[in-house]
Amino acid sequence: MPLENPILSISERVTELNSRYRNQKTEDVLRDILKDPLFGPVALVSSFGAEAVVLLHMISVIDPATPVIFIDTEMLFPQTLAYQKDLAEKFGLTDVRRITPSREAVFQRDTDNLLHLADRDSCCALRKTEPLERALIGFDAWIGGRKRFQGGVRVAIEMFENEADTRIKINPLAHWSREDVADYITVNTLPRHPLVAKGYLSIGCAPCTTPVSAGEDYRAGRWRGEEKTECGIHLASHVPNSGEPEVNTAVIVNDEGFAPDDWDRGYSVFEDMDDLSETQKSALAIDLPNTFDATDLLPWIDQIDLIRVEFPVFSDGRGFSLAQRLRLLGYHGRLRAKGHVLADQYAMVRRSGFDEVEISHELANRQPQSQWSARAAWQTHNYQQKFYQST
Amino acid sequence: MYNYTTFDKDFVATRAAQFRDQVQRRINGSLTEDEFRPLRLMNGLYMLLHAYMLRVAIPYGTLNGTQMRALADVADRWDKGYAHFSTRQNIQFHWPKLQDVPDILESLAKVDMHAIQTSGSCIRSVTSDHFAGAAADEYEDPRPTAEFVRQWSTDHPEFAFLPRKFKIAVTGSARDRAVIKLHDIGLTLVRNAAGAPGYEVSVGGGLGRTPMIGKVIRDFLPRADLLPYLEAILQVYNQIGRRDNKYKARIKITVHEHGIEEIRNRVEESFSLQRMRFDGVDQDIFARIEADFAEPIYKQASIEGYEIARQSDPLFRSFTDTNLHPHKNADYTIVTVSLKAHGATPGDASSAQMRVLADIAERWSHDELRVSHEQNIILPHVHKGDLPAVHAALRSAGLATANIGLISDLIACPGMDYCDLATARSINIAQGIATRFDELKLEHDIGHLKLKISGCINACGHHHVGHIGILGLEKSGVESYQITLGGDGTETASIGKIIGPGFSTDEIIPAIERLIMAYLDLRLDASETFLTVFRRLGPQPFKTALYTNEVKNHAA
Amino acid sequence: MKRDTATKIITANDLLSGEVVYLSTSGKWSIRHSDAILFEDKKAANTRLTEVQAQDTSIIGPCLAGATLADNQTPMPVHFREVFRSKGPSNRFLGKQTYAA
Repeated sequence: MPLENPILSISERVTELNSRYRNQKTEDVLRDILKDPLFGPVALVSSFGAEAVVLLHMISVIDPATPVIFIDTEMLFPQTLAYQKDLAEKFGLTDVRRITPSREAVFQRDTDNLLHLADRDSCCALRKTEPLERALIGFDAWIGGRKRFQGGVRVAIEMFENEADTRIKINPLAHWSREDVADYITVNTLPRHPLVAKGYLSIGCAPCTTPVSAGEDYRAGRWRGEEKTECGIHLASHVPNSGEPEVNTAVIVNDEGFAPDDWDRGYSVFEDMDDLSETQKSALAIDLPNTFDATDLLPWIDQIDLIRVEFPVFSDGRGFSLAQRLRLLGYHGRLRAKGHVLADQYAMVRRSGFDEVEISHELANRQPQSQWSARAAWQTHNYQQKFYQST
Repeated sequence: MYNYTTFDKDFVATRAAQFRDQVQRRINGSLTEDEFRPLRLMNGLYMLLHAYMLRVAIPYGTLNGTQMRALADVADRWDKGYAHFSTRQNIQFHWPKLQDVPDILESLAKVDMHAIQTSGSCIRSVTSDHFAGAAADEYEDPRPTAEFVRQWSTDHPEFAFLPRKFKIAVTGSARDRAVIKLHDIGLTLVRNAAGAPGYEVSVGGGLGRTPMIGKVIRDFLPRADLLPYLEAILQVYNQIGRRDNKYKARIKITVHEHGIEEIRNRVEESFSLQRMRFDGVDQDIFARIEADFAEPIYKQASIEGYEIARQSDPLFRSFTDTNLHPHKNADYTIVTVSLKAHGATPGDASSAQMRVLADIAERWSHDELRVSHEQNIILPHVHKGDLPAVHAALRSAGLATANIGLISDLIACPGMDYCDLATARSINIAQGIATRFDELKLEHDIGHLKLKISGCINACGHHHVGHIGILGLEKSGVESYQITLGGDGTETASIGKIIGPGFSTDEIIPAIERLIMAYLDLRLDASETFLTVFRRLGPQPFKTALYTNEVKNHAA
Repeated sequence: MKRDTATKIITANDLLSGEVVYLSTSGKWSIRHSDAILFEDKKAANTRLTEVQAQDTSIIGPCLAGATLADNQTPMPVHFREVFRSKGPSNRFLGKQTYAA
């Protein structure tokens, strides 16, 4: 339902609300919002994460029938689902709406539940942003739990925000400190999310959340290692795949451990080999699919500086044979395995002729440097080498 | 036997430690199940119907008493007091817990054993003739080659993620006991006209959904070219083997689809490159391996006791009639210990039985044991004079069943009693057949017969090469058994033919009985085996016996 | 014997022990088939299965299996494969069949 009296634009109202409530107690602000006919229907959007209990408790005191939207991305920790049920029951919340991604969309875009490995933004869009968008139809405003102390782009948030001229977004805890949150929870003896005790300070989907160490950024455990810091529901202008330049997220693994990619001259493909410019030829790198016939590269084999062989999935071993053949055909340049290569395969990669591996940040998160370094001594315990050389 | 070097020992110990780390990383989430599965499979760990199953490698079926005892200890300490010897000369434990597997592998590493490459899309544990180095009919010992291939294929970096599993078998006898022609690569030791050692290489054999007899890709491959040639075959397969369909991913399909000529050309091209990596040091290693397989120092003793016992003890006589094979030393014999007591589970042995076998091997078989693909245990070097004592020791452990080569010495995979792939049980059928023919007291009269039972189309029970094959399937929600006839896994290899509609669990044993009765009627004399009769007469008389209601009475 | 039924249970193997487990009415995994939660329609069962697949790391290979209500109102398996999984091998007295009822 639209505003009952749309006298002011959303932008004007946001300015007015921010000034009106600047120094008010949070509970009072919330009470006003939930009771003020000017707002029309308002929902609380809750993750049932690490600190969600504060707002859930407040609204349960004011009006337990307040609609609570819970986005179940179907990738959440089981503890989150259990916690959600516990809190809803304990606080007597009567209108918790568990929203799941569209079946059809998941079927079309993420059949094997691995989209998060390939494209996190698309995964967030599919499982979080789009379902929330649908759930918010009919609401004029929604309440969220963001706080400035959480860092990143959140340091500048206001209590009221204009969400793309369609809705008002309310952040009642925007100015709360970490201690304020802790005090509120202690004073009201509220149950914590079970993962908080295990070092999770911010809790999202299971595949993309890790614990946070002492001294780390508050949300460092979310999409660890990536530039991504927000899932998208808090980026009003977010459009997935909007043509922004691709962020270079590669991690290079070599015998020394992780390193940034030092190759910035781009890659050619085999089909372009006949039409390369002199500049391209001066520093030539080429991307090869693992189905490539190595003998086709013979005319150029001395001119290439870097060959990158694609590993679409770790269990597809064709890249190992391609590397072996490139080496036997006389390629002495840099040889890189790119894609889904596991730490457990590092010795195989090196022994079959590769110099290094290029992996995504996600994989680097899940299989940190220590797991790769454990296989860095790839020359030891090598039966084949005993057979090949007399030295 | 091959003596592990420091290198080998370090390798298996490191590998066990790596697996411990991988299990830890699986449990803490660093590895997803999708990522962990191939890693655990490469270390022999499957998830079956009721529990995990750990398959431990017994390369080319050879082990010593200490190793057998260590396997018995694993059965007692981490499993349920028994183990199953498989149709690939390996051993399987059917009840280990994930967190115990690193400890199991560590305990096995101490006796030079491991579970490396007993599963997964890689080069599997190499198999060979279970009488290797002992049989009178052998012209050259295949074990040095088998060990050579084992070392070369272990953790081969290029071939750990093939389109599908890859099995290599080696033999050096005119009598093929290693099912050479039904392997991805079959190596037969041969000499060329100049007397130089080498191999006849066949490729693209296999059982499973699409059984195929291997085709000869090189009729003489010099020994020094073996490893680069194997690398060339594997490299071609790794590159062009199908990865789009699991049932078309084995090299037999690659060979079938491309034709042996094209495969040979590609392999030769690849071989010309791979050959450059080898400068002959591999042949020095081969020579060192060969030295480890020197013949045992045979004892000089009287065999009189053997003849006396044969005269005085009918059980001993019966046992020696069926369970012996001629040894290259006339005073010696090869004893096959049947794991097919009538009514027992084919291939199963209790930890107590395994310890008895270890003791016997150490005392009377030059500390050597073999596991056959027919799920029996071999004592390869027994002096005939010691046979009465060996027989008595076997009897005391329930291991003296005298049925080798007979109908109750049948092969059966674990089937749906354990296996997650199975479509029907096979153990119960094996037990039923053995029990029935024991009651009929006919099996010695029937004579040489290979009966093989698989619980699904993947054919771990080798049913395609059984003289009588039984394939367990599911039909309309119940178990159903299809019969194939005329299969042969030896040097005269052939694939059995499906004979007609399947039988229910209740019908299958009477059906096998009708089939055998028909054979007894049809054979010219007692020396004509079931397979020979089938080849002489074709399927029709057997079809008639199977599918007409009237059961003929045997007139013997 | 019917091959399939409309009513389903969710079953898997425990990651650590490997034992067959069933999603129970309490939401926990039980080693007894009789504790399994019976889904009246396949769609609901599939939805729950998707959640389990995405979130539960304590088990492997979760899947649906047909089941019906026995006379004592507990779910019982339909297909013979599930009967074996709920009891243990038929050639040895091992596995679930050894547990006291």
